[in-house]
Order: sequence, then structure tokens, then C-alpha cells
Amino acid sequence: MLAITNLVTEFASIKALDNISFQAKPGLITTVIGANGAGKSTLLRTISGLERPTSGSITWFDEELTHKSVEAIVRSGISQVPEGHAVISQLSVAENIELGGLFRKRIARGDLATATKEVYELFPILHERRNEPAGSLSGGERQMLAISRALVSRPKLLLLDEPSLGLAPLIAAQIIGIINDLCRSTGLTVLLVEQNANTALAVADHGILLALGKVVADLPAKEMAADSSLRAAYLGY
Amino acid sequence: MTSFLSAFFSGTAQGAIYALVSLGLVLVWRGAGIVNFAQMGQAMFTTYIASQLIQNDYSYWSAFLIALISGAALGALVDLGLMRPLTSRKNSQLLTSQSMRTTIPVIASLGILGVLKALAGIFWAGEERGFPSPVAPNAIKIGETNLAITGFDLFVIGTVFLTLVLTTIFFTKTGMGLAMRASALNPEVTRLSGIKVGWVRTLGWAISGIASSLAGLLVTPKTNLSPNTLDLLLIIGFTAAVVGGLSSLAGSVLGGFILGYVISFVNVYSAPENVFIAILVFLLLALFFRPQGILGSKQVRSV
Repeated sequence: MLAITNLVTEFASIKALDNISFQAKPGLITTVIGANGAGKSTLLRTISGLERPTSGSITWFDEELTHKSVEAIVRSGISQVPEGHAVISQLSVAENIELGGLFRKRIARGDLATATKEVYELFPILHERRNEPAGSLSGGERQMLAISRALVSRPKLLLLDEPSLGLAPLIAAQIIGIINDLCRSTGLTVLLVEQNANTALAVADHGILLALGKVVADLPAKEMAADSSLRAAYLGY
Repeated sequence: MTSFLSAFFSGTAQGAIYALVSLGLVLVWRGAGIVNFAQMGQAMFTTYIASQLIQNDYSYWSAFLIALISGAALGALVDLGLMRPLTSRKNSQLLTSQSMRTTIPVIASLGILGVLKALAGIFWAGEERGFPSPVAPNAIKIGETNLAITGFDLFVIGTVFLTLVLTTIFFTKTGMGLAMRASALNPEVTRLSGIKVGWVRTLGWAISGIASSLAGLLVTPKTNLSPNTLDLLLIIGFTAAVVGGLSSLAGSVLGGFILGYVISFVNVYSAPENVFIAILVFLLLALFFRPQGILGSKQVRSV
């Protein structure tokens, strides 16, 4: 279980995360929603070690993550798919995928081949285009590649930062659907940050609503989706 | 025809050395975003080490090998001892402007250059000395006719060619090579892939140290060795890197060879004193018409 306790992250004395606490249960999809600037991305970047918290703690089961390096956190089984379909455009599709498993090449060479095969089965288009530069992919394909890069590291917790951003609704739904299937079939724990609350709450088990760096609601996804006053107050529709 | 061939071969040999210098500069530039002015100071220092060893009756090849290893160690040391602390998160938070963050390591590299020159002066009295080559510098003969290429030129070209082949294999076929390319292109995504970008960067400094150390060993049999001998090489190597494209390893090598030919042909067909003007004109032309370099990629804005 991922436990966030009294987490504060500041940028030049502005509190981007203001005393946040919540938990994400293993094997389930927890979604973090909120308007632009609510602190969603900062939350993910703090969990993955890219930003340093001022105070508070982040634990994954019994493991304290708070002051670990980005690389060590990945090696603990926590993988982030950053915002904006982050792939390395100049490298080929296959190299981007290889990169995700590189750190465990020596300890798990055999499994690396299996993991690579699995992501190609999950996203056959990537196998077709494996020798092309990642920069030539469409937005949706790049998002698939970014997810594949994270998956070959065999994460136990997957952090997704706005995977549907900038994608056509159909493609976004397809990608969210694949994440959902993956979670249900493999027991992967997912923390899904989304601006598109409807899409996210439709697949999630639990919802966390952020506003100005604070948790304003922590509810089962169904209840959050049904609560129109929450939506009106914080998401503006 | 003879003068053309001799200009061509000597240009190839010189260009091979410039290619090494330029490769070393680009490796650090891509990996760490730092123009390392100390690079040829490091090479000068390791060439002195080799020279000292040869004086102490070590064989040329063991001195050669030890110089390359010292080159790697010195490169790694510069990164670990100075550049890493200077660019640490804590340090960069104290600096408010991005331009200061990028300038300070460059100035630090100038400081290292000064220190290395001073140390060479202290240890080796700074006197100019010769440096041996493993092959005779005479023209190769077939029967009675002299060919336009010397045995030493062939040695230089062969060594650099081998180095470039090994470097290419390293970068394109190994996981570590992929990690180095990825770290240079996008450090954040690379870190999020579990790769220790800091160490990969140090490895880049070490490989750059080997390349420039090799350049020092290959150029000094012709130029002699003194604390200032290799300064010129840095300028030429830097020009080569800019001409070829600072962001491209292949471009840096290509730029080195182009500079080798420019210098060699100006030397043969014009006059040695025009070489500098030629380099400068060439650099300015490149900067005006192709500022990203021959093989450099344009800055692509992602949308």
C-alpha cells in the first residue's frame, strides 16, 4: 500500500502540496483529480523523487521512499509515466523500451525478453514500428510507448501523469482501458492523475480530489462521480 | 599530384587527431552541458605522465596504456571532485539565473586548466621535450619511390579508426551506450527508467578523458610536449565540434576530419601563416550558414 502522510512540497515558499495525506490500496486504481494547478503533477513528481518534499512521508508497504533518489525509487518497483507522452524522440521505439528495463539487465535478462514481448503484445503497433524513431509516432502511440517503457521495469506501482492529455477521446479511452485491464489481470497498483475526471472515475476504485494543494475529498470513485456538488465546486462543471 | 596526395594523407592523419579532441568535447557537452576548457590540459598532463614513464625505462606501450587509464581517471575526477558538487541541486538553488548555472562549470574548467599547467610546471619544470612515436616518421617506400604517407601517419589513422569503431559499437550495441545516449537526450526520462544518470555522466567524462589523452599521445611526436603545446588543439577541436554539430558524435568526428583537410591544404597550397585565418573564416561561415552544425539537429519544439 502506498501511504502519503502530511506531505508538503514547496516551490520558493509557495506550498504546491499542503499537508496531504491519503492511501492507495494495492491492486486497485486510485485516481487523483483536480483542476489545473491543484498540485496533481507535483504529487506524482514528489512520489517518484523528482521533487523533494519539505516535510511528511511517503511509504510503499514498509519501505520509506521519502528521501530516496529517483533511480532507487524506480528500482523499488515504482515507475512513473511522466506528463506529455515523455519518450526520447531521437531514440527508436525499441530503444525506448529497452531503456526501461536496462537497470535490471544483469539480474533478469530472461525476464526482460518476456517483458518486452508482453508490451509488444499489448501494443502491437509498437512492434510494427519498433525500428522507427519515437519522434515519428502519433501522440497516442507515444503514450503507449511511455507506458511500455515503464512496464518493462515490472513495476508494482504505476504512476500515470495525465495519460489522456492531448489525445483524441477514442484513443484516450483505449489507453485508459488497457491500464484498467492490466490492473485487473496482474494486480498492478495504479495511481492515475487526470484532469479528465469522468474518464478517470469511470475506471478507478477510489478518488482523491485535490484543490490548491489540499485533499478536499477522499471517496470511493463511484461516490465521487455521483457527487455533483463536489464537481461543481472544484471542477467547474 | 604528389603534393596533393601528401596534403590529403597528412590532412587525414591530423584530422583524425582533431576528431578525437572534438569527440571528447562533444561527449562532455552532450552529457553534462559543459564546455570543458581543461580537456587538453588533462591530455597534456597524461602525456607528461607517459613521457616520465618512458624516461624511467617503461616500454612505449605500457606508458601508452597507463596514459589512457590516467586520462579516464582524471576525467572522472574532474566530474566527481568539482563538476558534480558545483551542479548539485543544493548549489543550483543558490544561483538564481540559468546563465550563471551554465557559466560557472565552464569557468571552473578554466581553473582546472590553470592548475594542471602549474602542476606540470612544478613536476616537469615546464621544459619543452620530445615525445617518441612507436613507428619511424619516414615516408613509406615501395621499392625506391617514396609514397606521400608516412608510417606515423598510418599509425595515427589506424589507431583513431580503431577507436572510432570501438566507440560506435559501444554507443549503438551496448546497454551502457544506450544509457549514455538517453541521459544526454533526456536526463529526466532516463532517471525515471532507473538509470543512475550521475554515474553515466561521470563515465562520459572518463571516455572523453581517454579520447583526449589519446589525442595528446598522437600529436606530441610531431609538436613536442610542453604545458602549452596542446592549447591550439583545443581551439581546433572546438571549431571542429561546432562545424560538425555540437549535439552529434558523428558530426564531431566529421568536423575533425574537415578541419584536418582545411588546415593541411591551406598549409600546402597557401602558406602556414594563413592556417589560422582559414580556420576562423571556416568557423564563421559555418556559424552563419549552419549554426547547428553539419550533422547537428535543429531544436525541435515539442507540441
